[in-house]
Amino acid sequence: MSEFVYLTFDGLSRGLVYAAFALALVLIWRAARIVNFAQGAMAVSAVYVAYSVTNATGSYWLGFGAALLAGLALGVIVERVVMRFVDHSSPLNGVVVALGLVLIFQGVLGIVYGNEFLPFETPFSRDAFVVGGVAMLSRYDLFVFGTVGAVVIALTLLFTRTAVGLRMRAAAFAPDVSRLLGVSVGGMLTLGWALAAAVGSLAGILVVPTELGVHPTAMDVVFVSAFAAAVVGGLDSPIGAVVGGLIVGVLLSYVSGYIDVTVAPMAVLALLVVVLLGRPGGLFSSSKARVA
Amino acid sequence: MSTDSQLKELALHDITVRFGGLTALDSVSLRVAPGRIVGVIGPNGAGKTTLFNVICGFVQPTSGSLTLDGSPWRPRPHHLSRLGIARTLQGVGQFSGMTVLENVMVGARHRHAESEALAALDRCGVARYADAHPGALPYAIRKRIELARALVAKPRILMLDEPAGGLDADEIAWLGALIKETGTTVLLVEHHMDLVMSVCDEILVLDFGKSIALGSPAEISANPKVTEAYLGAAA
Repeated sequence: MSEFVYLTFDGLSRGLVYAAFALALVLIWRAARIVNFAQGAMAVSAVYVAYSVTNATGSYWLGFGAALLAGLALGVIVERVVMRFVDHSSPLNGVVVALGLVLIFQGVLGIVYGNEFLPFETPFSRDAFVVGGVAMLSRYDLFVFGTVGAVVIALTLLFTRTAVGLRMRAAAFAPDVSRLLGVSVGGMLTLGWALAAAVGSLAGILVVPTELGVHPTAMDVVFVSAFAAAVVGGLDSPIGAVVGGLIVGVLLSYVSGYIDVTVAPMAVLALLVVVLLGRPGGLFSSSKARVA
Repeated sequence: MSTDSQLKELALHDITVRFGGLTALDSVSLRVAPGRIVGVIGPNGAGKTTLFNVICGFVQPTSGSLTLDGSPWRPRPHHLSRLGIARTLQGVGQFSGMTVLENVMVGARHRHAESEALAALDRCGVARYADAHPGALPYAIRKRIELARALVAKPRILMLDEPAGGLDADEIAWLGALIKETGTTVLLVEHHMDLVMSVCDEILVLDFGKSIALGSPAEISANPKVTEAYLGAAA
């Protein structure tokens, strides 16, 4: 029982990171109909910024803030300098360009920082509280819960309660109609990329210190899990991304804990197959009207 | 309601649009004076919607120019709202993932978007559908919502693209009254002749992209070229 409780909390904590990363993928998919395969490389770039700032100042929190700002800036740059000029007549074009960006980001990071894992500490202890002999959440897990929860609430309020959020939704759904209504579709697209990249960077800075450390490919495995989470939830659905992230996180935790960690990727694949066979649009897909 | 000082004069000068070998508009000129209701009619394929698309900046003219209040003007779609120009679409074009209220709020330009959107919906008689999703509503209701979305920005020039399509006689009578009471400049593309003749101060008739007549409803009714364009040479 105690193992089950521990694995559940551990899975939820990790699942929230996947949720944040999946949310970043969903934000860009909704805005631009592109699966941003460069999201992991962009996030790890922001984590390197955090690593450098934290080492230079001794403050984790300055590094944390710098990573979010770097994420915002990277989102703007990638959209304005690269993605805006991609021919979107085929969805594959955006995918290929994003994969090219992965090679560039990872290559440059390797040249600048080397290809060794660099240690990056968490700001809070990862030792779980023990309640009645059962290991529960750690302080760091609570930090992850609080941070991702705040981001999800903030994004929900942005999209449902603000004029900017309304215009972002409109621009994503029908760009030409939105332009007629005075919406700057290009501006909304840039904002969408910036927000998504910042959320992806947040996921990066939350997860990288809990693994082997900072490395140009540190987010590759996280990307695969988060992409699976986004697809399971439905690429169009922010709620689906969060639920999908939690499902994938808990599944990976149970499979790693009860069976073997090497089987975990197979479990995610099996989950994808089952969900896509039952609901090809994902668990929270709202309609079949929109295709890439 | 707009005041005269807020209204704008829109003019098209010898506008020609070619799509490959097809001439969609052939040297068409039109002056839309402030406060006037101008109809654009013609058979299917005459170039009416292309004319609207030129004014909205969706189509660049091959030659010719536009002026707004006498100044040269190159329209861009996302600047129209700021300039006080609103357009409804033939195909309705609502955001099905949003509620009716949210659809109209996207068109609002002011701080109190929600109350203004509700007022516009109320003016168009569809406020009770504010929380519904447009995809689930009858076509005639969606037409009214589209009108509310155009009116919420308090436009100085209102461009209506076949607003009467799919409406019954009572609804068309209501629409005619609404167009008259806006007090703003209106550019109306419409097939429903009774509506056009009853509300317009001036009518432009297009046929195969050419302007074949321009005048008051009475003049257009009596023009044999117009009858020929609509009914064929034998008429």
